Amino acid sequence: MPNTPTERVNEPPSYLLPLLQLSDSALPTGGFSHSFGMETFLERGLIDGEAGFASWLSQFVGIQLTYSDGFALRLAYEASSVDDIARVDRMIAAAALPREVREAGTKMGARMLAIAGTVAPGARLAGYAADVGSGRCAGHPAVAFGVAGRQLGVPLEELLASYLFTAVTSLTQNAIRAIPIGQDAGQRVLLGTHPRIMDAVRRIQALDADDFGITAPGLEIAQMRHERQRVRMFMS
Amino acid sequence: MTGASAPEVPVRRAAVELAGTLALTVGVRGDRCIATSQYHQGALRILRPHYLDDTSQVCYVVVNPGGGYVGGDEYEIDITVETGARLLLTTQSATKVYRTPATRAEQRTHIRLGPNASLESVPDPLIAYRGATYRQATVIEMHGSASLVMAEIVTPGWSPDGALFGYDEIRLRNEISVDGRLAVLDNLLIRPLTGAAPIDGMAFLEDYTHVGSLLVMDARVDAALLNELHEELLPLAGGCNLGMSLLDGGLAIRALSHATEPLDAVIRAGIDFLRCRWHGQPRLNLRKY
Repeated sequence: MPNTPTERVNEPPSYLLPLLQLSDSALPTGGFSHSFGMETFLERGLIDGEAGFASWLSQFVGIQLTYSDGFALRLAYEASSVDDIARVDRMIAAAALPREVREAGTKMGARMLAIAGTVAPGARLAGYAADVGSGRCAGHPAVAFGVAGRQLGVPLEELLASYLFTAVTSLTQNAIRAIPIGQDAGQRVLLGTHPRIMDAVRRIQALDADDFGITAPGLEIAQMRHERQRVRMFMS
Repeated sequence: MTGASAPEVPVRRAAVELAGTLALTVGVRGDRCIATSQYHQGALRILRPHYLDDTSQVCYVVVNPGGGYVGGDEYEIDITVETGARLLLTTQSATKVYRTPATRAEQRTHIRLGPNASLESVPDPLIAYRGATYRQATVIEMHGSASLVMAEIVTPGWSPDGALFGYDEIRLRNEISVDGRLAVLDNLLIRPLTGAAPIDGMAFLEDYTHVGSLLVMDARVDAALLNELHEELLPLAGGCNLGMSLLDGGLAIRALSHATEPLDAVIRAGIDFLRCRWHGQPRLNLRKY
């Protein structure tokens, strides 16, 4: 039988489409109803347009998305057992001192787990979902994303960049509605986050255990004060 | 996890000569609380116990006869409050951290609170000098029926030229477990020059200079108590940026200000409110010996 020359066809990695689906900022995890303290700065007049929002977002990436969400994602990705995952879940819940941030994690975590369970089913994710169901774990979207990404075989740096970019996209869409700023301004802000996200991805991979959950006082206070804000669009 | 009571003579680490060690166990003896064992070595001492009011709560004052922390200094503090005992822990003066070229000063504290034990920790402010790097790590293991009230004030430090935030880095990490379960991981890192965001930005201090914190872990804390406390503190917080929130089994207060005094007033008012509510005690009046 003659050899038929096989034509070389390049395929994207098998994880790409599930990753894109989970990274969609319109994913119904409830991100549209959380500002993570931004709304407090909005009310105080410290965020009143594109520049103020871009500045806040850049600080949010460097602090919360690096030391809490990003680091939790990495630890969940590196976890070698369901107990490891439960430990990370406890750490990120304990590190969120503002009540609304803790509750946002729990609510969005439950949604992310349900969606990821469909898009990227696997034993690890099912185990984490069962622990959240039983109350052993609180639930957090970064932990669920880390577990799902590991199952899909996504390289850690791509998984981190995807998660961080989804988070800033969601916050930017919220800012477009709340400040408001224009769609084009929103796109400029997003482009401006690229170097910050690349920097955060590098730093997250080099963090030590002692760095977990590092936060900054102004950000925390804004997240706490939001609870008592009279007029609010967002739940956090 | 180590045992429930502090060792009489802690084993010294061979590799690192500690700059100071302090171990204190407080229990109930008769109708008063008192140290049932204590040990100190190096540049950490404890003054004789005293009683601030007619309750059984004992007050101990920690002293650093060396005057301050320098590069390479490592301090270890080990506190145990036994069943039903009540301890008020304070300092004689501000904790000063001097220049720590190419290294750092570090204080590690381990606290164990038994059933119905209570600890109020009300230290003087932290002052870090130009070129200082300081790391403070506190691990607290408490019984679900125990009570913890822990205050902290961080100043903008001190430089010869009067510039603020001359220090390199301050890290304050509090890890609180209740009945063996991690409940609070409070991790603050301030690097004025090399931080993840500008020190005068929204996420850090804006134009404020002082950071204050009060952590309370106590099963009696609920949303109603937090609301009462908020009503109490808000009128005192003029000029401060004040945030308060409910924790899993406690509450957290954070505040920023332009000076130590207003911050101290807010935090002390919070402590006084809880002392009165839970123990019928008068306002805290720390006479420094």
